[in-house]
Amino acid sequence: RLLAKEAYLNDAVAPGLTDTDTDDSELEEAEDPIDAQEVYDMIAHISDPEHPLTLGQLAVVNLPDIDVRENKDKTKISEVIVKITPTITHCSLATLIGLGIRVRLERSLPPRYRITILLKSGSHQSENQVNKQLNDKERVAAACDNDQLLGVVSKMLSTCK
Amino acid sequence: MPITLLKSLELHSDKLWSIDSAKGLMATASSDRKIKLVNLRATDIREVEELDDSTHKKSVRSVAFRPHSSILAAGSFDSTISVWGQDENEDTQGTFQETELLAIIEGHENEVKSVAWSHAGEFLASCSRDKSVWIWEADEMGEEYECLSVLQEHSQDVKHVAWHPSMNLLASSSYDDTIRLWREDSDDWECVTVLNGHEGTVWCSAFETSESQLRLVSCSDDATVRVWKYVEEGDDGEDIWTLEAVLPRIHSRAVYSVSWSPGGFIASVGSDGLLVVYKETELGTWEVVAEKEEAHGVFEINTVKWANVNNKELLLTGGDDGNANVWSFDP
Repeated sequence: RLLAKEAYLNDAVAPGLTDTDTDDSELEEAEDPIDAQEVYDMIAHISDPEHPLTLGQLAVVNLPDIDVRENKDKTKISEVIVKITPTITHCSLATLIGLGIRVRLERSLPPRYRITILLKSGSHQSENQVNKQLNDKERVAAACDNDQLLGVVSKMLSTCK
Repeated sequence: MPITLLKSLELHSDKLWSIDSAKGLMATASSDRKIKLVNLRATDIREVEELDDSTHKKSVRSVAFRPHSSILAAGSFDSTISVWGQDENEDTQGTFQETELLAIIEGHENEVKSVAWSHAGEFLASCSRDKSVWIWEADEMGEEYECLSVLQEHSQDVKHVAWHPSMNLLASSSYDDTIRLWREDSDDWECVTVLNGHEGTVWCSAFETSESQLRLVSCSDDATVRVWKYVEEGDDGEDIWTLEAVLPRIHSRAVYSVSWSPGGFIASVGSDGLLVVYKETELGTWEVVAEKEEAHGVFEINTVKWANVNNKELLLTGGDDGNANVWSFDP
């Protein structure tokens, strides 16, 4: 979160330093909006916790299942919704995989993005339960306070570019 | 717009989770493991103290001032509760006095999510991801705590506890989408009602300050704010409550915190960054009288509290930006 905040601040300041004549609207257009492909590239290289493959290779994350609802006004909230497909419908690691994706996106995206991680409909027997847990900010924050769990997540993220 | 920003305090380097205020002081709790105190009476509204940050090993999730004292309780994800105070016997007129750790309360199995003191300061309630609510009896000094009851009727994490401002009645909000109300009954605490209706985690609740009626406001992941009303005592010793109103649906995402002012206004904040104030136009009918978009910029807002300082109604908010914002509200 802190890294994301810093990156966001740098992004906001940099264009103004190079071109003093641009007004606010041009300045914002100069920034590339984030698209689904970029979000995919951020998470596709995350390692699966039990296979020697990435989430992209296992088709747990897929480009068509990423939805970016970009608000052009950078002072407003934008949304990223990622639907994941666990490899098996009773995958016990679905929550851990979802957590890894959320941590990766929270660290990489500017803070204006609200991130929703969902299991693709019909892909898991405890769909609602897992979805609720993955999108509970307090549970996610508590998980990130757990050194052991964070260690596992860091290992999953170590293959990200 | 009757809501005006008086001061934005950059207090924490991570999420600011909880705010409480008493006697012109504001306390804040954060994921950066720190607890800070701010003087709201000073014209420049400034930070006065940072409590010993080696006390908690994980996020501090909740802070609550004990009524009629200068004691502060804090609940942490490290599963403990810390209690802080000042030595009131010493002659410290005009000199700054450091707040000291009075007690560490252990008992919960994992993350403590909320702490709250009863109106007379007699009981401390706490709740946790371990699905339980504990009621502690405190001695006058705030140093000794005896657990009176462990309430285990919620089926999931308990997110928040709130006491009634003048009765020993406790509300607990949960990840199981319900609110439970608890009352003391011949030496034990019993669940007197379950409020069903929210379609998602209930994040917070607050009682109305009123002599004539008994009401509770709650907010949820389902993006709604609801007012519940006590109807009558049922045959089986349970209390009968009913949903009186769903407040105007102005939030677009989870609503994390609500506060009911002694003057009758309700304030709510949440993931969408909106700070909203509602007014009751006639009994059970509410309208939005003020709203502030991006009240913490693009960040989520976790907590809102009304505070009366120097006879002015203030709104205190805390967000993921680590800031506490102090707002004036002119009805």
